[in-house]
Amino acid sequence: MYRLRIASRLLALTGLVLLAGCASTPPWPEPESEAGKPVLPNRVLLEDVPFYAQEKYQCGPASLAMMLNSQGLETDPDVLNELVYIPAREGSLQVEMVAGARSHNMVVYPLEPKLEAVLEEVSAGNPVLVMQNLLIDWWPQWHFAVVVGFDSDDETIILNTDTRKQHAMPYKAFHATWSRAERWAVVVLPPEQIPATAEPLTFLRAAHDLESTGHTRAALSAYQTAEQTWPKQPAPIMAQGNLAYGQQQWSGAVVHFRRVVEQFPDYAEGWNNLAYTLEQADCPVQATAALSCARSLSPERFGKEEAAFGTGQTGDGENCPALPSCPVPTQ
Amino acid sequence: MSEIRNYLKQVSLVMAVLMAMATTFSTTAHAGMVGTGEIIQQQQTELDRQQLLNMLEKQEVQEKLAEMGVSKDQVADRIQNLTPTELADFEQQLAEAPAGQDVVGIIVLFLLVFIITDMLCATNIFSFINCIR
Repeated sequence: MYRLRIASRLLALTGLVLLAGCASTPPWPEPESEAGKPVLPNRVLLEDVPFYAQEKYQCGPASLAMMLNSQGLETDPDVLNELVYIPAREGSLQVEMVAGARSHNMVVYPLEPKLEAVLEEVSAGNPVLVMQNLLIDWWPQWHFAVVVGFDSDDETIILNTDTRKQHAMPYKAFHATWSRAERWAVVVLPPEQIPATAEPLTFLRAAHDLESTGHTRAALSAYQTAEQTWPKQPAPIMAQGNLAYGQQQWSGAVVHFRRVVEQFPDYAEGWNNLAYTLEQADCPVQATAALSCARSLSPERFGKEEAAFGTGQTGDGENCPALPSCPVPTQ
Repeated sequence: MSEIRNYLKQVSLVMAVLMAMATTFSTTAHAGMVGTGEIIQQQQTELDRQQLLNMLEKQEVQEKLAEMGVSKDQVADRIQNLTPTELADFEQQLAEAPAGQDVVGIIVLFLLVFIITDMLCATNIFSFINCIR
């Protein structure tokens, strides 16, 4: 009986070890990746990223300083300490890091949680801020580090981490610690610059986060960058119009929304926002025309409300712009 | 904890029905400016929808659906009519699904929502389900 118990325990233990062994590391990304994607170089090292050795527990401020100063800012971990370090937690939180970067008018772009994205950004010259869990899931020790390079031949990730500059970490170890932190990775770039792996919607959301945290000028600049990068998307121009509208710059907003309906005449939201902006700009006739176009384009969305434009208005329409014609017949 | 587990099936059915009802009655009628956050959300919904439709193109998924007697077009139709909340829910479930078992997970998920909405007479994919009126 006793022996049986020992045997079953041993069996359970082996099972545990086997289970733990199941968390395997995917192979290193192939250099000849999918069509349309750039071929990654074998070895990259961003020598220009400055290095700050972390003091006790303060990997957050040190990493953020490396990210910001690599983009030409001049700050240092001591200053950032106030911003992101929480003494009671002996560390920083992701949200603090993101907010800290935003307060320097930077776009914080979250990467897709896969190594390819990290390698692609680093190859494009953008250091990547990553989060790691150095211990285990139920006893985490969170850590921030900056990826400044990699070596495909050795399969190593080169990190500025803790007190080590350009430390080459074996891929397996990096993958394990990074995966335990949900593969959190961001690039921090000025709003004029587009991340190498940027997707329109994710970039726009990052820009909108800047706007909603009060960094309107940086947000505007990011919207403009998005418009240049993805000229076939109405959303970046809409965002610029909405930003101007929010600042009560009616004529500026009219210009943006007019650009939307000229370039994307089928986009009902553009006509709708143009209508409400024209109303503010004292152009009730044009406002009514624009709204009926929005309604005709998308009756289920805009058709329900009878807008009463022009009541109590004094606008004579002298300074009001002529509208492009609606692509569908209006009621 | 174990008591809850005993009723897990019933509880999840009730939750699923509640979810379906909550999303059936949400409207998208609009008056006023369309904000940037809303535009982003809207585009995200379209992107999610497209991703689901792309998944439907996979051979294994179609085979599995055929096994269950559902045609690809019916499911595609249903995906077109999913509300943003339902779509977001799908995306959430997919993101949480461990790699490798995703295909089966998707199918089960599809069917769960479809059967429930069919029960509410929102759709009529399964002839064997009589809807509650």
